[in-house]
Amino acid sequence: MTPDPKFTPIRKGLLEFLILQIVSADKVYVADMMNRLQNTDFATQEGTLYPLLSKMRREELVDYEWQESDSGPPRKYYKLTAKGKSQLAEFKDYWDYLNTTINQLGR
Amino acid sequence: MNTVIIINLNGNAFHLDEPAYQSLRAYLERAQAQLKDNPDKAEIVADLEQAIADKCAHFLRPHKNVLSLAEIEDVLKQMGPVQTDGAQASESAAAHEQPQAAASSWDTPKRLYQIREGAMLSGVCTGIAAYFNIDVTIVRILFVVLALLTGGIWLLVYIAMMLVIPFANTDEERAAAAGAPFNAQEVIDRAKKHYGEFKNHKEWRRHWRQQRREWRRKWHDGAYWWAHNLQRNVHQFSTPSGYGAQLVAGLLIPILAILSALVFILWIVAIVQLATSGSIFGWAIPASMPLWVSILILIFLYSAISQPLRHARRAIYFTTGGYNYSWFAALDGILALGVLALVCWFAYTHLPQVHQFFEHFNENWQTMWNNIVDSFRHSGLTVAVHRLAELV
Repeated sequence: MTPDPKFTPIRKGLLEFLILQIVSADKVYVADMMNRLQNTDFATQEGTLYPLLSKMRREELVDYEWQESDSGPPRKYYKLTAKGKSQLAEFKDYWDYLNTTINQLGR
Repeated sequence: MNTVIIINLNGNAFHLDEPAYQSLRAYLERAQAQLKDNPDKAEIVADLEQAIADKCAHFLRPHKNVLSLAEIEDVLKQMGPVQTDGAQASESAAAHEQPQAAASSWDTPKRLYQIREGAMLSGVCTGIAAYFNIDVTIVRILFVVLALLTGGIWLLVYIAMMLVIPFANTDEERAAAAGAPFNAQEVIDRAKKHYGEFKNHKEWRRHWRQQRREWRRKWHDGAYWWAHNLQRNVHQFSTPSGYGAQLVAGLLIPILAILSALVFILWIVAIVQLATSGSIFGWAIPASMPLWVSILILIFLYSAISQPLRHARRAIYFTTGGYNYSWFAALDGILALGVLALVCWFAYTHLPQVHQFFEHFNENWQTMWNNIVDSFRHSGLTVAVHRLAELV
């Protein structure tokens, strides 16, 4: 299914929270994130992801630590900060609220 | 054989072909520009370089250690354009538009250039073919057909393109397959630049003078040859044709004139019918064929039929008239125009459809035009036309 291009801004806006969600489950590095998103409508590329992650780190939602990898150079593993955790919870609440609103308006 | 350039991607050395290097450099420069206000620019670029390095490593084997343009393009496609939409989503709409535009210019990275490699004349056709991603041969055939149909005017257009469209000469221009769209300001800038070069370059000037002398000589020779031959031909035609030939030719004049006029009228009627109702004399054109294509075909058919008729008429002037052929040509022209006027008058007074068509000429013309434009729009060619319009 190819969604209406009108939905693109919605997906773009949500990407940040999906990354919070992914990072909340486990320490991940960028290639992991991309793999998780790959088969969803939110599939993304490094060109988008790196700037976004750096912004989220500036806002102290995520943080990273370097870890040696068996193959290749050390990688940045991202994890959620306390602020990121609360933001994610806030987002989920807000998402539920939006859903309820949309469904109620339909009646 | 290409020059190989060694680069350092976040601490990893890679061997790149020259074109691959240009492409990668263009990508990274665009990334830098995109991130220029970002406090973490250095870090993000380092991350991007590392990601590119990881992807590049997939293409390397023990006996293959140079990356080609195709491979780099593949890597960059996987990377995607560097976007900072997310970061600016909360800022003003104007600030939000900017990275979008930059990103889309990466998505459609093409600019029109003349490409010398594989060119027959100047590289206009190769450039256009590369721009629209079609076979050069198709473009060349199209150009020849256009030149024939327009009676050579297209050649002037071609020459104009030769002068205006820049060459993909420097590394920067080749890499700038991804720059801003080709616009009017740029044409002017380039013209200025070229003019400057042109003025300064002694070598060029000498070459140009020589070329001009050559052309002038050829032109003189050619003109003389034509004049000479034409005269001889007139002599040949006028003397040997006997009364029999002249009589037949004389009879043929009105027949051919009427025929030409009728072909012309049929052609006009066919185009009008096609544009208003989508069918010609009751025969509906296949749905798969867009209206504008069928009109092009009609134009082509008309010139294919009328051209030989015209030549036949011209030949007859010589046969009948000899030296005085111009009288016969004038007579013939008047006859054809007369037939045309007669048919128009007859149709206007005796055929209600024709009468009505002209009564509401404005609306009819509008619908016809709209139909043609619509057919054009639906055929996905609008993008191409928009790009052409940008150029003009």
